[in-house]
Order: sequence, then structure tokens, then C-alpha cells
Amino acid sequence: MRESIIMKIHYGTALGAVVLVAVHVLFRITMMSYGDSLQYENVIANYKFVPYAIMLELILVLLSVHGFNGLRVILIELKQGRSYEKAVTYGCLAAMAILIAYGSRTILMTSMGMT
Amino acid sequence: MKRNENREGIKGMVNPGRYGIERVSYWLMRITGLGLLAYLIGHIYETSSILNGKSVWDSMLQLTQTTQGHIILTLVIGMCVFHTVNGIRLMFAHGGIGVGKPTRPDYPYIPNSQNMKNKLCIYASIGVAALAMMYGLSVLFGE
Repeated sequence: MRESIIMKIHYGTALGAVVLVAVHVLFRITMMSYGDSLQYENVIANYKFVPYAIMLELILVLLSVHGFNGLRVILIELKQGRSYEKAVTYGCLAAMAILIAYGSRTILMTSMGMT
Repeated sequence: MKRNENREGIKGMVNPGRYGIERVSYWLMRITGLGLLAYLIGHIYETSSILNGKSVWDSMLQLTQTTQGHIILTLVIGMCVFHTVNGIRLMFAHGGIGVGKPTRPDYPYIPNSQNMKNKLCIYASIGVAALAMMYGLSVLFGE
């Protein structure tokens, strides 16, 4: 994929994540006190509220894509070379996929009541 | 002089003294990005404890809802706000907004892109991040 397309994805994921993370944080501090919002029952209720669970999944995907692409850019800035760049790109893609799969497992299982 | 003697390597790259606040912003952007990625991974691991029931969730909360945990969270708030505000500045700059018009390179070769507007935005990013950290501290410790 061309680097210009990757940077557009990088900026798009950043803008999307800013909006959704703001909503996620506001959920923690506006609905009730911060401490109460972290109580087990309240967190479970959040996960079972489908629009919120979808938003969490979106945040997970957007931040993982943005974060691991950022890491790839930093690592490629430090050192260059065909095999090194390939290793960094595939390593970051693999780490991103693992993180998304692990986070999605939590969201899916909790929202379906498998706790 | 040998070629290697003139090469500072990472030391030269890290040195913020030579290129002013732009170099500081360059490093802060990368450090905050790595910090936020580390936090994201930790947060996903932390929240996965909810699958193991109330007692495990409560013990994880006891681990994170401490003074040290709140200080780390305050740093995360600061990193997040700086990374966001400076990131928006960079998006504009990469799109050619606020970087001035190209002119003939005359001595002393001051680049149009490193203008006062961009410098002010970097200082503003740091200021907004500090304010957000203060608000975060009031929420976390004000209960």
C-alpha cells in the first residue's frame, strides 16, 4: 500500500478515535462519579448496552490501527533496510491483529453475559 | 576529519538544543505515542479481568485505584491531550495549512514552515495538556 494512503488512514483513525474516546471518558465522569462508574455492575451494564459495546469495539480497532502504524513509523525512522522494514511492518500487523482479537473477546463475551 | 567523527547518530537526533521547540515537539509526539500505546495494551489487559467475575475485577480495581495508579492515569491524560492537539497541528501542517508560502531561499535561510504560528501551537498543546492533567487530578483525587 502506498505510504500516502497509509498516512490518510493514520489521520482518519486519529480523528475517529478522538471523538469516540471523548464519549468513552464522558461516560465515566458524567453519568455518575468516576469511582462508582468503575463498579462491577455498572461496567457490566455498560457492556450490555449494545451501542456502547459497538463504540468500544470501534475505539479498539481505531486505536490499534493508529497505535501500531505509529510504532511502525517510529521504528522505520530509526533504521532502514528492505528486510528490516518488512519485519517491522508484518510484526506491527501481527501485534495489531492479536490486540484487536484479545480486546474483541472481552467485549463480545461480556456483552453476551459470558462472565 | 573522518566521516564517522562528524556523525552524532542518535545523540544528535535527541539533542533538543539545536532545533528549538520543534525538536522538543518531535520527541514529545513520539514519546507520548509510545506511552499511549503501552497504556492501551495495559488497559485492554486490565479490563479483560471482568471475564473472571466480580472478585477478580475488584482486586484489579484495588491494584489500579491507588495513588500511584491515579498519578499514572494523570500522566496518560496529559500524554493523550498533548498527542491530540499537536497531532491536529501536524495534520494541518502536512496539508500545507499554516506553513507559509514557498519563497526564494535567501540568507539566513529561515524556513517559512517554522513560523511563530506553529511555535505558539506547540506551546498551546503543552499548556492544554497541563490544564487537562490538573482537571484529571481534581477528578481522581477529589472523590
